[in-house]
Amino acid sequence: MRFMRLAAVAALATVSFTAQAHGPTRQKISESVEIDAPADKVWAVVGNFQDGSWIPVVEKTEGKGGNEPKATRTLTLKGGATVEEELAKYDADKKALMYRINKVDVKTLPVNDYSSNIEVEAEGANKTKVTWRGAFYRGYMNNDPPPDLNDEASKKAVQGLYRAGLDNLKAKVEKGS
Amino acid sequence: MNLIGRMRPVGGRLRAGLLALSRARLPSPLCGGGWAGRQAGSVGTKSRREGRDILRLVLALALLAALPHPARAAEALVTVQGDNAVEVVDLDAAKVVRRIPVSGSPAGIALSPGRDTAYVTRPDLPGLAVIDLRTDTVTQDLKLPGGPLGIGVDPRAGTVYVADWYAARVLVLRPEGGKLVADGEIAVGQSPSGLAVTPDGATLLVANREADSVSVVDIAARREVARVPVGKHPFGLTLDAEGKRAYTANVTGDDVSVIDVPARREVGRVKTGERPYVVALAGGRGFVTDQYGNSVTAFDLATLKSVGTIDVGDHPEGIGAARDGRHLYVANWGSNTLSVIDAGTLKVVREIPTGDGPRAFGDFLR
Repeated sequence: MRFMRLAAVAALATVSFTAQAHGPTRQKISESVEIDAPADKVWAVVGNFQDGSWIPVVEKTEGKGGNEPKATRTLTLKGGATVEEELAKYDADKKALMYRINKVDVKTLPVNDYSSNIEVEAEGANKTKVTWRGAFYRGYMNNDPPPDLNDEASKKAVQGLYRAGLDNLKAKVEKGS
Repeated sequence: MNLIGRMRPVGGRLRAGLLALSRARLPSPLCGGGWAGRQAGSVGTKSRREGRDILRLVLALALLAALPHPARAAEALVTVQGDNAVEVVDLDAAKVVRRIPVSGSPAGIALSPGRDTAYVTRPDLPGLAVIDLRTDTVTQDLKLPGGPLGIGVDPRAGTVYVADWYAARVLVLRPEGGKLVADGEIAVGQSPSGLAVTPDGATLLVANREADSVSVVDIAARREVARVPVGKHPFGLTLDAEGKRAYTANVTGDDVSVIDVPARREVGRVKTGERPYVVALAGGRGFVTDQYGNSVTAFDLATLKSVGTIDVGDHPEGIGAARDGRHLYVANWGSNTLSVIDAGTLKVVREIPTGDGPRAFGDFLR
């Protein structure tokens, strides 16, 4: 399983990824969820950088450095694809973290220069809002991208990932597991 | 992907676009002065007293015109990429007062020598918009080849230079009869991004992101005459007021290169936060936006030592110093705000909300 489904893998065969420059227009996605649980309980799940299991497609998390900036993790997805990530900022008091993708195949997630913020805010004793924001360039790094690697495709893939992740987080935490 | 092979048909499109748009009329540049001229012309039929009043008025207008800056509110012209617009921010009122729709994910911006016309790059069109800032209208809609992003204007001749991010060239656009006309291109290094022209109009400097260098272009000869090696992936390029020193923000090197322009060599390096974007200069200091650090690094221009880090919004990009040199304005792409920094105290004194994805890459304050 992948973060996204490719409709036309064949189109990729003719595409070269040797160019270094990314597209000129960085994209952003922001998704949030309200969870009926205390913020500490939610943060205990999403604030553990070494366990990405709350994201449905993640099968295994291996990493080092705990929750310190520059900690790394490799997410192995169902189906075998991997995503290498690095923690950039971690603020336990504010319940916020920022991480980056260091390495991912655009066939797994069609993005470049991806960075992301997760913020957990208490909205009451038993109500918490989680916001997941991402900034990234599209999968194809040159002009005239194929449809599966254009701005729209990259935004759709990230949005789908965030939605599935946050909805699963809500279900998981509210169930108490 | 063969960019070169596609240049010719795209150039044809450019010419076709220019032809199609040549019908759109620019407001007459004489509109402002025409009234006084007509009045003065009728003096002979009026009383001497009226004539003296008119003479005084004409002199007053002439004096106004001679002032270095017109008496208008200080403004920021912010490209809000996600909203496909340029927003006019009144810096005293600290709010967006007008919005001009510009399609194609507007990013880069530069101003005409008279500072009454804005040139805005549209990487997703791809093309350029000419905006008359007296009427807030797009007066020319140019299609351009490649990935137009960085843009700069010759402060003397008014020639507009547009960097093609996907190639290794700068497109030249010449003002003629109130319009910009395509006037060829100049070869530079790979993925040109930030660029600037020296105050004497003699030299164009171009940061070549993928070539880790700055191209020195002789404007009269229309060709690159030197290439200065700098840090890794220079993006924004900023010239000082005298045109003696240039500063590049080296995105993956996390530093700034300082270039001695006449000597055509790098003379210093300043450490910054993560992923520096572009430098602004004010009060003997340089200010660099750190995209990943969500901060601005300030450094002393004489010692090239850091003097502080200022927390700003998410993914800060464009930064500029106000006319008075007392404040800096930072476009925070992620948080949709302008942070206002006091250049003396190095504190953020205000946040101004903007539309989605402010970039303001270039000369955006007037």
